[in-house]
Amino acid sequence: MHKQVLLQRWSNMNLEELEKQVQLQEDIQEIEHLQRTYGYYFDNHMWQEIVDLFSDNAESVEIIDHGLFYGKKGVRRIYWDMFAGGGKPRQWPAWEQWSVIQIGGVVDVSPDGKTAWGRWQTWLTESLPLGAFPHNEWSHGYYENKYVKEDGKWKFSKLHWNDTFCTPIEHGWLKNAQLGWMPLPDADAPPTAFHPYPSGYHVPYHYKNPITGK
Amino acid sequence: MNLEKLEKQVTLLEDIQEIENLQKLYGYYFDYSMFPEVMGLFSENTDSVEVTGHGVFRGKEGARRMYEAMLATKRSGWIFFEIMQSQGVVDIATDGKTATGCWYTPSFECRPFGGAQRQTWQFGIYDNEYIKENGKWYFKKLRWSLIFWTSFESGFLKVPRLTDDLAFPNADASPTAYHPYPSRYHVPFPFKHPVADA
Repeated sequence: MHKQVLLQRWSNMNLEELEKQVQLQEDIQEIEHLQRTYGYYFDNHMWQEIVDLFSDNAESVEIIDHGLFYGKKGVRRIYWDMFAGGGKPRQWPAWEQWSVIQIGGVVDVSPDGKTAWGRWQTWLTESLPLGAFPHNEWSHGYYENKYVKEDGKWKFSKLHWNDTFCTPIEHGWLKNAQLGWMPLPDADAPPTAFHPYPSGYHVPYHYKNPITGK
Repeated sequence: MNLEKLEKQVTLLEDIQEIENLQKLYGYYFDYSMFPEVMGLFSENTDSVEVTGHGVFRGKEGARRMYEAMLATKRSGWIFFEIMQSQGVVDIATDGKTATGCWYTPSFECRPFGGAQRQTWQFGIYDNEYIKENGKWYFKKLRWSLIFWTSFESGFLKVPRLTDDLAFPNADASPTAYHPYPSRYHVPFPFKHPVADA
């Protein structure tokens, strides 16, 4: 998308064109930070901070396999009502933790500079209770997210995370690709695409090949 | 700063951004075995590609031969690669026409091995070269050196590599960068030291 803008210009750019280019770089940078900030908040259970990263006009949140949550209302329901327990003080045992590493962001800003898409992959380690027992797991997944710029700030408009596998550290993805299935009761709709390994499912891309345009 | 200098700075930032995307796209396409898409990222004037012990493949034609062997066959769902393109350091040459990039790749994989299904960890390092042609960045040279390739169950201390990655029979030359753990080999960094070499 923005690549075309790049091609149009060579030297002798005027100030207006130059400003547009700088704006684009700033936008990409800001969105990359937004996504990584989300990751750090998520790992530290900072749910209100996460809700605030979403636009008031947010489309949806879908964290496979929890289901689809619509609108900013849905954003609040999953992160605040469910993950944060509605703000009730909650004792997280010290062993319960996760690190979701936000890797490989490819961010494309639309030509009008008002919306953007980002694809990321996540490598994560987590320890969670399953049944009555602590479990430690490796997991991998992809984001295909949409961002929107409002009042000069980038926010999440749509978040979609799709998991490739979630396996106990003792087993590995070949032996046990999906540890559990945890649809949340308050979701607005079931997951749109939950096809963990070894389905061979490819999470669709938002972007075209920058060289061939296909 | 005058307008011309400013433009140069902006172009530099754009170039780095575009090359980072190129490398990450390569990763996403490779993992999904998207052979034509991977080929589209290489310059018509590609110098060479070299991956682990498979040997050196020269020119775009050579690159096509190597990737065809790796990616062009349809595979079943349980065979997979997730190669995470991490920690890129991209340096643009002063004339703005070529660049180098150094990247780490932790990865999870599942492949058939000795008649069995195996789940493996594989780590490696890229030292790549890029070239700008008609305003777009392409791969000019790709080199990936294996650090270790171990089974999920064993770990790299016990099993640094499941087997040796042999040269493909149609390679143009023997591997130049196949010194996996625990060889003490250090991949030569394409970048300069920001302080000592300044």
